[in-house]
Amino acid sequence: MRAIIIDDERLARTELKKLLLEFPEVEIIDEAANAEEGILKIESQVPDLIFLDIQMPGKTGFDLLVELERTPQVIFTTAYDEFALKAFEVNALDYLLKPIEPKRLADAIQKLQISENKEVKAEGEFFNNSILTDTDQVFVKDGERCWFVKLNEIRLFESVGNYAKVFFGPNKPLILKSLNALEERLDEKTFFRANRKHIVNLRMIDKIEPYFNGGLLLELKGGEKIEVSRRQTVKFKEMMSL
Amino acid sequence: MWHGNSRYWFFQVIGWGGFALISIFFAYSFDQLKSKDDLILVLGRIGIFVALGIVFTHLMRLVIINLNLLQKKLERQLIQFILITAIFSFIGSYFDMRLLIKYDWLNKREKEFLDNKVLLVLSGAFYFFVYFFIWNLIYFIYHYITKSRKQQLDTLRLESLVKELELQTIKAHINPHFIFNALNSIRALVDENPQRARKAVTELSNILRSSMQVEKIETVPFEKELNIVKDYLALENMRFEDRLKIEFEIDEDTLDQLVPPMMLQTLVENAIKHGISKQINGGLVKVISDFKGDYHELVVQNTGQLNGKISNEGFGLSSTTNRLSLLYGDKARFEIKQINGSLVEAKVLLPVTLH
Repeated sequence: MRAIIIDDERLARTELKKLLLEFPEVEIIDEAANAEEGILKIESQVPDLIFLDIQMPGKTGFDLLVELERTPQVIFTTAYDEFALKAFEVNALDYLLKPIEPKRLADAIQKLQISENKEVKAEGEFFNNSILTDTDQVFVKDGERCWFVKLNEIRLFESVGNYAKVFFGPNKPLILKSLNALEERLDEKTFFRANRKHIVNLRMIDKIEPYFNGGLLLELKGGEKIEVSRRQTVKFKEMMSL
Repeated sequence: MWHGNSRYWFFQVIGWGGFALISIFFAYSFDQLKSKDDLILVLGRIGIFVALGIVFTHLMRLVIINLNLLQKKLERQLIQFILITAIFSFIGSYFDMRLLIKYDWLNKREKEFLDNKVLLVLSGAFYFFVYFFIWNLIYFIYHYITKSRKQQLDTLRLESLVKELELQTIKAHINPHFIFNALNSIRALVDENPQRARKAVTELSNILRSSMQVEKIETVPFEKELNIVKDYLALENMRFEDRLKIEFEIDEDTLDQLVPPMMLQTLVENAIKHGISKQINGGLVKVISDFKGDYHELVVQNTGQLNGKISNEGFGLSSTTNRLSLLYGDKARFEIKQINGSLVEAKVLLPVTLH
């Protein structure tokens, strides 16, 4: 696993590197002292894993994640106590409290390896750098609440001005990305542009009904009803037929 | 049926006894005690009145206590109080008349009305009403005063308790985030620079110890506070390395001035938390202590931008203002402002302590 450490304190990075000597499976390829530097290094080197401090000068660790196109596996390192962390409502993440306990570090790394093994099988052979796959996760932040979302959990993207509303589970936070930019990055086998305002996940469709004007009406698993424009209906039928 | 305390009975005896004596005195000065019959008549009448007065005011008190009248709203108190007084006046007057007739102690005017007893009771009731009214007035005012005094005492006690608690929370405040970051740095230094690591452990112990001790003290000599701040900044310097520059400008004469413990420390902590730790390239923290007129002036400057919402920026600043007003009233001042494009200054003015 190729990893990058992002922490504004040199001593904290040194300490973590020293702890990671015990884990030959984790290779530290680089380190960054703030979020800006971190973003550049992640985009250029595409690590499998980042160790991320939350409180940093300029941008926080959460801000960094929001700006990433594709989020690698993340292990937060922070001196915050658990109570303070809870306020962020971050789900599905591992965090290590500084000073880091070696046992907790070992647990976190082991957990990553298990989930990674599963993904390698699922991912298949081709790997395109710019297209996000099903199991890729994105980090979404809406005010104080944060989520890691796997693409296959997302039902729908809805355009709201310059933002896009992301529908997954009971949540629908906004992200600062246009629908067109998203469309370019999403796998068209799974995500379909139904009309000007919506991109739907084809695997999340519950019902398909004919609509007037020769269009279609899709009902998603979350109950959302999305109209497919006439032009896109042709494409949709093409894709769905053998 | 011994209801109430000895103080109540003391007031009853003094009151009605005083009334009896005054009545006798007036009868004497108006020459009503000339014959033996007159004497018996006057004394008998007074005796009956006082006896009925004591019995009925006591019953009235039982009614007031049972109705819990003193706890009710003022208007309701007033209405019920007058109603009760009137009712008891009539009953008292009725018994008075029966007894006077029985002993034949009616005076001349009353004898003229003997065939119209209702009128007799009515005029007697008026007489009773005046005295019962006065009795009740004294009773209520007495209770009103004791109650409000007790309330005042309770409020005062509560206020001092709140102050004490507030001070305790303020003093106990040392940022756990800082402690764990420092420990983490120390762990890294153990291999890299054992000498510095050992020094850091001492510095951290000093801070922890003083933050535990302050809970018992209101003020400390500035020198002591300054030492903690120096230890604190040394630890932060270990963390931030070349991102943090520290400067001191201390007038030696201010070292024995008394200051609230952990106050300068809180300001320096703020300067790091909201200033330095937000700057990618770090910055400067400067601590100044000198005399300004009648004041001991403490200043903390730091690189950074003051954001608009200082008031709710959390614990540090509001607690500083609170502490100053709790300890010095309006004799101390605190302000924080942007002094130029990149420097924020927090300033505390304390009254000079004379030795």
